[in-house]
Amino acid sequence: MASGSKEGKEQIRLGFMTAVEIGDRSFVGGLLVTDRFGRPLEFQCTTPVKPNRTQELLYGPTLVPFILGDLLGKALLDRVSVKPLLVMTSRIEMLQLRTKVDVPIIYDEASSETDSKTTQSEQSVAKEQTVPIGRQTFRTHEDFTDDRSTVEQISQQLSNDANMHEPLERVGDALRETMSTVTARPRVA
Amino acid sequence: MLPDQDHLQRSATSDSYNVPCPRAEDFLFDVAPVECITPAAEIYSSGINVALNRWPSIECQHVDPGLAAWTMPSWKPGWPKIRTVGLAFPEAIEFLPPEKEKSDDQSEKVRPIKEPSEGETNAEKKRPKKTRLKPPSDALSLEDRLFYILQQPLETMLAGQELIMPFEPFPHQYEGIGWLFSQESALLADEMGLGKTMQMITAVRLLLRGGQIRRILLICPKPLIPNWQREFRAWAEELPVVTVEGDTARRNLIWKMPGVPILMTNYEVMVRDMEAMPEEERPKFDLVVLDEAQRIKNRDSKTAVVTRDLKRKRSWCLTGTPIENRPEELVSLFEFLEVVNARATPDLRQLSKLADKYILRRTKDIAMKDMPPRLDRDAYLELSPAQKYAYTVAEKEGVVQLNDMGDQVTVQHVFELVLRLKQITNFDPLTNESSKLDRLVADMEEIAASGGKAILFSQWTKVLDWLGERLQQFNPLIYHGGVPTKKREPILSKFKEDPSKHILLMSYGTGAVGLNLQFAGYVFLFDRWWNPAVEDQAINRAHRIGQTSTVIVTRFICNDTIEERIDAVLRHKREIFESVLGDGDVEDAARSLTASEIFGLFDLKAKHGKGTRKIAPKVVEDAA
Repeated sequence: MASGSKEGKEQIRLGFMTAVEIGDRSFVGGLLVTDRFGRPLEFQCTTPVKPNRTQELLYGPTLVPFILGDLLGKALLDRVSVKPLLVMTSRIEMLQLRTKVDVPIIYDEASSETDSKTTQSEQSVAKEQTVPIGRQTFRTHEDFTDDRSTVEQISQQLSNDANMHEPLERVGDALRETMSTVTARPRVA
Repeated sequence: MLPDQDHLQRSATSDSYNVPCPRAEDFLFDVAPVECITPAAEIYSSGINVALNRWPSIECQHVDPGLAAWTMPSWKPGWPKIRTVGLAFPEAIEFLPPEKEKSDDQSEKVRPIKEPSEGETNAEKKRPKKTRLKPPSDALSLEDRLFYILQQPLETMLAGQELIMPFEPFPHQYEGIGWLFSQESALLADEMGLGKTMQMITAVRLLLRGGQIRRILLICPKPLIPNWQREFRAWAEELPVVTVEGDTARRNLIWKMPGVPILMTNYEVMVRDMEAMPEEERPKFDLVVLDEAQRIKNRDSKTAVVTRDLKRKRSWCLTGTPIENRPEELVSLFEFLEVVNARATPDLRQLSKLADKYILRRTKDIAMKDMPPRLDRDAYLELSPAQKYAYTVAEKEGVVQLNDMGDQVTVQHVFELVLRLKQITNFDPLTNESSKLDRLVADMEEIAASGGKAILFSQWTKVLDWLGERLQQFNPLIYHGGVPTKKREPILSKFKEDPSKHILLMSYGTGAVGLNLQFAGYVFLFDRWWNPAVEDQAINRAHRIGQTSTVIVTRFICNDTIEERIDAVLRHKREIFESVLGDGDVEDAARSLTASEIFGLFDLKAKHGKGTRKIAPKVVEDAA
């Protein structure tokens, strides 16, 4: 039992996904997969995606969730070779990705404090949808009620003192570094 | 745009009607195509030609409705293919923790690292919450930069990987660990006592665990090997460390032994073994660390040449005194770090630029503001009558002899006289009278009564032995170059653990470097060394991290003797250095007495224009 439990712990792979908006409504997404201690195992980031005017008009309010979830998030999860058991995100728009993949996608509630776009109604979440991991509380997708118990099982194998918000900051920093490097690079004629 | 029924009905009154029949695809939405017009009644609503009671002949004809093409729903929800860029991290290496001995009470002393939490006290908030690794300035590729940006904060790394740390590192140590972690070429030049050893060990530990390095060579002065072994046990007990020692065959075996992550050796053994080994058989290392790296300051020395030839990927140097005499000494270290070309001669501006990039140096004033202060007090003593007589006679005779030698006099002759006079200030060899001993005993009685411990430094091992016989009431321990290496470590342990051992008598050469004796609150400099940097190193054995009380340093200086004159010269040199650098950093000064200054002690002039030649004995060698 002890060894089995230890092996289970060794296999825990956590995903941390976020996206940042750069310049004129372009988005880049990043996914960091770590072990249970937060040690990085693999990182993937996307090229920037920018919607055109028609897409903005026709998608309306569903545009950003579509870009972040269906396009960026899906591409990241497809490409990453170390598959995470769970993906945590600081962008509520990425929760929609859950409808496209089999991995629980959970949203860091603490991020909503700084996310001005999050509406009041979005903040009032049913208790059944929230689940604590380490020091943070996360929200599951409302249509996937089983995710809560899955996440709880994983959470039990992590430290209660673990800071799950910090790796998301790393992903954000890495995306900004990537963009600054790319934009600073001189174009070849 | 459907034609209305009335219109159709009206049109049906003519014999032949051309009614446009729109196609379904002409509309923006699905409609059933209009077939033909069926008269609804025999009499049309227009009232015309009621007799006409037959089906009108209707031809359908396509007419362009005149709609512009842009209104057509030709758009499809297509998005460009999303491309991704990936970065995989090396696999971590796990080390099995060593089995604890039953009697080992270390676990009780261990204080695991606490990761900063939300509800910290004000005191805790003073230190930065996270020490994030920064990409080195020479990391140009995006992958290299992302590698560092995506690493955990050091606090999380140390707390999360179940790495037991005996003590929580200080903020400057976190900074140093992070800096070393990301540097391929690094010179950690923290002032003595700030924990260079611990920073290096922890950085190595993290790099090893992160799978970035697998084989390390640590080279240090021979007397420091037990100290390093002890520090590795304290800070990284799970890491296997093997010392290259024994006869030639055994050492060869160790050099080639696979699977040993950390090899440790001294400079002499390394030089001897590498020279004896064919080029192609020499081992390769991911990291080579030089402790007390000033040992290679002379770029043409055999040690420096052989060290530079070591096959390695990363090069680190540790030293509290990166410059002992001239800034040019740094060039040799930079050459080892492979940041300047072979035989390069960078000017001061270039050296300064390289230093900014590859040297990390912090002083206690800046890094350890909370550290207990060090109180220096100079004890000016009168020679005892017997000492005074012996001193006067020796000085007169000596100066007369020097004058008689005329042009034949050399700095060595003067130097011998200085040594002779210095010895008399310690004690009179005929009567064993010593004003320094009297003062020492008086101070020690007070220290022993309060349960304190003191370290005493002298230039001569004979003086230490002489003192050992006369300080029996304080249970002295003696530690100098004459003590076999294997017996040295137990002496330090006994001094630390045995409350009845109140004084440790040490030589500058053996005891001044690399030892941690912060449990001693008193330091006596029984005689003066030639260079205050070495004296500072000696004092910093006690005044270092972990010290909880003020360290009281007593320098014995006999009035109207050579000691007073040497002290004046050294003090003057220190003042000049401070005025040049202006930061109170006095470790790096060229402060050994020069030949001119030695001659000047007796109002003699250097005869052969070798005014800048350093004549002080080497620090590492004990004077007999």
